Amino acid sequence: MSEGRGLSRRRVLGIGGALGLTAAGWLGASAALSNRPPVTGGELRSAVPLPPAFQVPLPIPRVLTPVDTAGGVDRYAITQRATTAEILPGVSTPLWTYEGTFPGPTIESRRGRPVTVTHRNLLPVPTVVHLHGGHTPADSDGYPTDLVIPESWGNSVHTGHDGHVMHDPRAVTSDLTRDYTFPMNQRPTLLWYHDHRMDFTAPAIWRGLAGMHIVRDDAEDALGLPAGPRELPLMIADRAFAADGSLDYPSIDRTLRTKPGVEDPYVAGVLGDVILVNGAPWPVCEVDAARYRLRILNASNARHYELEAVTEDGRRLDLVQIGADQGLLAAPITHATLPMAPAERHDLVVDFAGVPVGGLVRLVNRLGSGRTAEVMAFRVAREAADDSRVPDVLSTDLPEWNRSQAVRVRDLSFRAGRMGDGHGWLIDGRPFDPARTDVTVRLGDVEVWRLIADVHHPVHLHLVGFRVLSRGGGAPLPHDAGLKDTVSLRPGESAEIITRFDGYRGRFLFHCHNAEHEDMGMMANLEVV
Amino acid sequence: MVTAVNDTRAAATRPAPRTRPSGWVLRSLTAAHLLAIVGQPVFAGVYLSGDFDGLRLHALGADVVFYIGIAQLIAAIVVWVRLGLAWPFAASLVVLAAETVQYLAGMEGALWLHLPLGVLTVAGIALLFVAVWRRPLARPVKPEAGDE
Repeated sequence: MSEGRGLSRRRVLGIGGALGLTAAGWLGASAALSNRPPVTGGELRSAVPLPPAFQVPLPIPRVLTPVDTAGGVDRYAITQRATTAEILPGVSTPLWTYEGTFPGPTIESRRGRPVTVTHRNLLPVPTVVHLHGGHTPADSDGYPTDLVIPESWGNSVHTGHDGHVMHDPRAVTSDLTRDYTFPMNQRPTLLWYHDHRMDFTAPAIWRGLAGMHIVRDDAEDALGLPAGPRELPLMIADRAFAADGSLDYPSIDRTLRTKPGVEDPYVAGVLGDVILVNGAPWPVCEVDAARYRLRILNASNARHYELEAVTEDGRRLDLVQIGADQGLLAAPITHATLPMAPAERHDLVVDFAGVPVGGLVRLVNRLGSGRTAEVMAFRVAREAADDSRVPDVLSTDLPEWNRSQAVRVRDLSFRAGRMGDGHGWLIDGRPFDPARTDVTVRLGDVEVWRLIADVHHPVHLHLVGFRVLSRGGGAPLPHDAGLKDTVSLRPGESAEIITRFDGYRGRFLFHCHNAEHEDMGMMANLEVV
Repeated sequence: MVTAVNDTRAAATRPAPRTRPSGWVLRSLTAAHLLAIVGQPVFAGVYLSGDFDGLRLHALGADVVFYIGIAQLIAAIVVWVRLGLAWPFAASLVVLAAETVQYLAGMEGALWLHLPLGVLTVAGIALLFVAVWRRPLARPVKPEAGDE
């Protein structure tokens, strides 16, 4: 009688089975459809044949010679101009460059010795240079509306996200040239300079406006780290090539003059299918069987990497991390693999001593698939003496800030949203507006910022370096060590960072360094008073 | 009215099934379980809206849900032993297994699994809540001959 009033056993099993199948089916679909690991954009497909990996020799960008070193200041001159280069063998590619090369020339500087760079803009659009990671006064920090207007620009007006004129009363523009002065009062590290023009940063970097800038000091020089030819600056960037050999990029306005943004499939980020290192596709570098210092910069717009060094017999070489974005760690950290978000820098030592002469060590990307799983390779060419070392103590000057010092805790969300009539990326629900101050801090104050992301967002602060206090409510990851200026948040993840806002007052920025997100609103003003 | 008459007559011949104390414990825990787990998407939303404390609440909520899940499983074992009802145990075990996977998926940041499994777990607990409350939790009456 109980079964007569309720459900028959058969029906219960039937309903249960249907629910179970629904659950299992959709979980299976989720596993099959989802990107694991998550991807950070839409990938362009090159329309020209791509060269085999590890054929092109690794170029090292030339070190720029100062035009003047009088008065304790190193003065440099850089011309921004369009040119054509052979990136893929036999393919001619138009570029926008600093001094005619991609990457631009490397600037070598000393801690505490100011550098002034005079940039001359011969490109068809306005530009502005930002030194990423530089501890730089506001007037030389490359604020996105402090534009250098080229002669050819005429009376064109700068327009904003939705086509309206974006008015910024504080913008300081100049005609044709501008001097940027960098005091270089900061820890020695690898910085990079790139275009930071409002709404058009991503396509400008893509076209070639990026270069490296190294800061050194006596203490670092005295450590005995691999140096000279055994120190390699490596700028990793992905690109795609159109049928005519040009760099493919899905800008809505291909002239980069008026309407910003990218075509819809790429709003999450633009990925290329060619991995360039120092501007060469999947290059190979001849090395001694010795320790090398690899100073790696991820200059990609949106592509993340997880680097691993693998020998031909499948052995993994240790990646000994000695430095982060803002210079040396306190002590080396050994990684098997090392994730790397856009704009992050890793200072690594890799020892090729155990690799037989003639052996190939591939630097691979575990987040890539197909050709983007390869980055570059090292061919061990000869045995060699090696007097370099990796000391147990690398630095003792890392700032240690405690939560108890913090005068303020801020929550900041980085997530997708609407901007104007289209898709945008927002900080605390708002797209970038140069005329609005988002965060005001007092010079010298220590603050804790709690950053929360919906999808991958590498969050970058101008002016200061910071320490990562926690990630996802737990301990930081091994590669969060040291002093950072960019922290890579993963989907649904948060991080707490702590810093002291010192040095200079004025208007600075913080933003997502997925360059497409940055152009589509994910940037905010940081006013230091 | 006919039904009432029939029920009265049935009550006269055998006692109406009444939920036993062990059944009430299971019912209470299932209700608490539902109450707690519906908070989880709320806290997740608060977190993603840019409130860092939302994550702590989501993590705390996960612990609370999980502990209730364990308590519910124990209560379901008691119901099985005392009342001879096995299905609440089976259902509670499935829910707890799902919550364990859910917990780990959340810690790992495996959102492809965490989001759909979370929705399914809430749906499962809602179903279980209905199942334990819609009829008295009592020892099943042996069907008399010819009842089937």
